[in-house]
Amino acid sequence: MEQIIANGLYLGAQYALIALGLTLIFALMNVLNFAHGQMYVIGGFVTYTVYAQLGLPFVVGVAASGVTLAIIGALVQKFLFGPVIRKSVREESTMLLAAGLAFLLDAVVLLLFGEKQRGVPKIVNGIFNYNDYTIVMPYDKILVGVLAILAIAAFILYMQYSKTGRAMRALAQDKVAAQLMGVDVDRYSIIGFALGAMLAGVVGGLLVTVTGINLGMGGPTSIKAFMMVMIGGAGVISGAIAGGFILGMLESVGLTVLAAYGDITYLVIFASLMVFLAIRPQGLMGKPWG
Amino acid sequence: MAVGAFLLTVFAVVPWLIHVSGRWDFYYTLTSVALLSIASGGVWLTFYIGRINIGQGAFALAGGYVSAILVTKYGFSFWVTIPLSGLFCALLAVLIGLPILRLRGVYFAMITLVLTEVARLAALALPITNGARGISSIPLPGELSIFGLTIIPDFSTIGNVKLAFYYLATVLMVVSFAGLYRLVNSRVGHLCRSLQQNEELASSIGVNIAYLRVIAFAISSFLGGISGAIFVAISRSIYPASFPVKDSVDFMLNCFLGGLGYVFGPMLGTLMIYFGWDLLFTTGRFQLLIYSAILIMLIVTLPNGILSLPLFNKREADK
Amino acid sequence: MTALLEINGLTKKFGGLTAVGDASFKVNDKEILSVIGPNGAGKSTLFKLISSFLRPTHGEVRFNGERISGLAPHIVARKGVVRTFQETTIFKDMTARQNVVVAHHLQSKASLLGHYAGTLTARRDEIDFHESAAEILEYLGLGHVQNEVARNLPHGYLRALGIAIGLAAKPQVLLLDEPFAGMNHDETMKAVEMVRGVRDRGITILLVEHDMKAVMKISDRIVVLNFGQMIAEGTPAEIQSNERVIEAYLGREDQEIGI
Repeated sequence: MEQIIANGLYLGAQYALIALGLTLIFALMNVLNFAHGQMYVIGGFVTYTVYAQLGLPFVVGVAASGVTLAIIGALVQKFLFGPVIRKSVREESTMLLAAGLAFLLDAVVLLLFGEKQRGVPKIVNGIFNYNDYTIVMPYDKILVGVLAILAIAAFILYMQYSKTGRAMRALAQDKVAAQLMGVDVDRYSIIGFALGAMLAGVVGGLLVTVTGINLGMGGPTSIKAFMMVMIGGAGVISGAIAGGFILGMLESVGLTVLAAYGDITYLVIFASLMVFLAIRPQGLMGKPWG
Repeated sequence: MAVGAFLLTVFAVVPWLIHVSGRWDFYYTLTSVALLSIASGGVWLTFYIGRINIGQGAFALAGGYVSAILVTKYGFSFWVTIPLSGLFCALLAVLIGLPILRLRGVYFAMITLVLTEVARLAALALPITNGARGISSIPLPGELSIFGLTIIPDFSTIGNVKLAFYYLATVLMVVSFAGLYRLVNSRVGHLCRSLQQNEELASSIGVNIAYLRVIAFAISSFLGGISGAIFVAISRSIYPASFPVKDSVDFMLNCFLGGLGYVFGPMLGTLMIYFGWDLLFTTGRFQLLIYSAILIMLIVTLPNGILSLPLFNKREADK
Repeated sequence: MTALLEINGLTKKFGGLTAVGDASFKVNDKEILSVIGPNGAGKSTLFKLISSFLRPTHGEVRFNGERISGLAPHIVARKGVVRTFQETTIFKDMTARQNVVVAHHLQSKASLLGHYAGTLTARRDEIDFHESAAEILEYLGLGHVQNEVARNLPHGYLRALGIAIGLAAKPQVLLLDEPFAGMNHDETMKAVEMVRGVRDRGITILLVEHDMKAVMKISDRIVVLNFGQMIAEGTPAEIQSNERVIEAYLGREDQEIGI
C-alpha cells in the first residue's frame, strides 16, 4: 500500500508538471497544444546530449532543456500561433496548427536524434529501503520526484507573486479586461507559451534519467496530459496539479490491482474518465461553462 | 456536368490510365484514398455540427474488427458485414455520444482523441479481438448473390483483385458523398449548420439539439466503420495498432485541408495529403520535415482550406 | 383576465447566493410586461428560468396552466414560449433570410427523414417557410438586407433579426432579452414601435430591460426586481411613483432611471 502511494506521488509530480504547461498555454491562448508531448521528448534529448554526450553536470542538462524549449515556445507563439489566432475566425485553426507542429517537431527529433531509445547514466546510485521493504524506491527516482515538486512550487510562487505571473493570470481570466488594464497581450502570450513549453522540457530532462527517451514517447505523453487536464479542468492551475496527481495515483494503483487482468489499467482509467466527464464536463476544478 | 466528369474520371479514365501505364500499385493508393475519404467525410459531418472529432480512428478500428470477427469466427459473408460494422459503430456512437457530445470545442476534441486510444487498448485487452496478435489471414470477399443471381463474383476467382477493390471503394465513396451532399443541402443540413453556429439559439427555436448531434455523430461513425471494414478486407488482417492516433489526426487534417465549409473538401484533402506524402517519399529522411512544414504553411496561409481559393469558388458559391 | 404565463415562487440559488428569490407574477394574454431592475438584480437569471435555459431551485413557471420549468428549452419553444438573445446571438454565417427560414423549424410538417428525401411535404414546407420568412423580414424592415450574411449586417439590424428569428417560431409568448440595450433615443423609439407591432400580431411579450424610458413607454405592466427580490409590480404610472423603486435605483447612483 505504502509502495503504491509512493509510486503514485512520484508519477503524479511528473504528470502535474506536464499538465501545468499544457493548461497554462490553454488558459492564455485557448490553444490545445498537441505538440506538448513532442516538446517533452525534445527536452529529454537535450538533457541526454548535454549530460550523457557532452559530460556536463545533470543540472546543466535540465536547464538547457528548459531554455531550449522556452525559445522554441516563444518562436512558435510569435511566428505561428500568434498570427493564426489573429487572422482566423474559428478556434479549430489553432488545433490544426498544433497538430502540424507536432509532426514538425517529430521530424526535427528524428533528424537530430534518430529513432533509438536513449538513456543516461544514473544521477545517483542506490535504493532507498524504508521499514524493511515497505517502500522501496531508487534514489534517482526520489531525487527526480523532489525536483519536480520543487519546480511545481516555484511555478506557483512565480504565478502568484511575480509581476509577469500576475499579468498572465489576469490575461487567463479575462482577456479583454486585462487588455484594458494595460496588459500587453502579445508579449505575455509569448512569455506564457515559452513558460509552458519550458515546463514540458524540464520534465523531459528530469525523466530521461529514469525512463530514458525515444521518439515515440511524444504522442502518448500528450494524451496523458490531455487526460490530466480534463480530470482537473482545463485552464486551471490547481486543476492541472490535481489532475496530474490523480492520474499518477490511478496509474500506480491500477498497475498493482489490475495486474492480474493484464494490461488494462489505462483502459479502465479511460472508461472512468468518460463516465466522470459525462457527470462533470468541466472537470474537478474547472468553471462550469455554457 | 462537373459530377459527370468526376464519375467518368474515377470509373473509366483512371483505370484506363493505370492499364496503359502498367502502374498497378496506383490502385492500392487510390483505393486507400477513397476509403480514407469516406472516413474523413464522417469527420467532416461532425465538424458541420460544430464538433472537432479526432476519434474516427476508433470507429474505423471497431468497424474493422466487427467485420473481421464476423467473417472469421461466425462465417458471415463479407458483404453483410459492411452494413453491420457500420451499424455497430453507429450504435456505439449513440452510446458514447450521448454523454460526450455535451462537451464542446477543445474538450470534445480531447475526449475523442482519448477515445482513439481507448479503442486500441480495448482491442488489446478484449478476448474476442485476439490481443496484440490481431486477426490475420482473413479470406477475400466471397460471392454476393440475391436469389441465385450473382451481383458481385467471388473475389478469389477474379483475376484482378486490386481493380475489384478499387471499384468497391470508389463506388462507396461516391454513394457516401452523394448522401452527404444531399444532407448538407437539405433542411437537415441547415439545422446542422444552425447547431454549428449557435446551439443555444438553435434550441430556442425548437431544435432538439441533443438528438441532432447524436444523429450526426452516428452517421459519421457509420462511415468510419464501413471504411474500416473494407480496409480490413484489403489488408486481410487487423491489429490493435491498425488505426492509431495519427490516423484520427489525419482524418481531421484531411477535412481542414480541403476546407470545412465544403462537402467535397475531405475528398480533396485526403487526396492531397495521401499523394503529397507519397510524392515526398523521394526526399528520404526529410520526408516528415518537408511534409509538416508544407502543412503548417498551408494552415497559416489558407485557414479555410484549399477549396476556399478563388479558383474553386465560382462553382462552390451557390452551395 | 386569463393568465397565460404564471410565475410561482420562482427561486434560483447559485451556491449560497440567491440570484432570484421567490418571484411570483402573472403575464396576461397579449400584454407587454417588462421586468426591470438595476444591474445584478437577477433579471437575466429570471429570464433564463422562464425560458427554461436554467432550472429553478424552487418554484415553477406555468404556461397555459401547464408546468414548463424543468423541460428542455426546445420543448418549451415547441409549446409556444420562445426567447430571443442579445444582439450578437444570431446564425452569423447564414444570410438574414436563411436565419429566419431555418428558424421555422417548429412549423415543419415533414420529418427530418422526409426533408432528407425531399418529399412533397418537405418541399411544400420550404416554400411556405420562404414566404413566411419574406413576410417577417419585410415587416421588421429587413427586406432590403435579407441576402446579406448576418455577420456583415450593420449593428442596427441585428436586434431586429433576432426578433425575426423568434417570430419565425410562431410563439404565443415572446421573451425579449434587453431589446433596447445600447440604442440611442431615436433607435429606441423605433424599436419600441417594432415591439408594439409584434404584440399587435397577437403575441404576448415579456421583456427584461434596463432602459427605463423605453420600458415606461412600452409596458402595460412592470415588475421590478432588486437583489433578486420582487419589490414592486404595477402599471408604469404606479411604478414611477413607487418609493421603493426610486430608492432601489437612486441608492445605486444609477442615472438610468430617467423619470
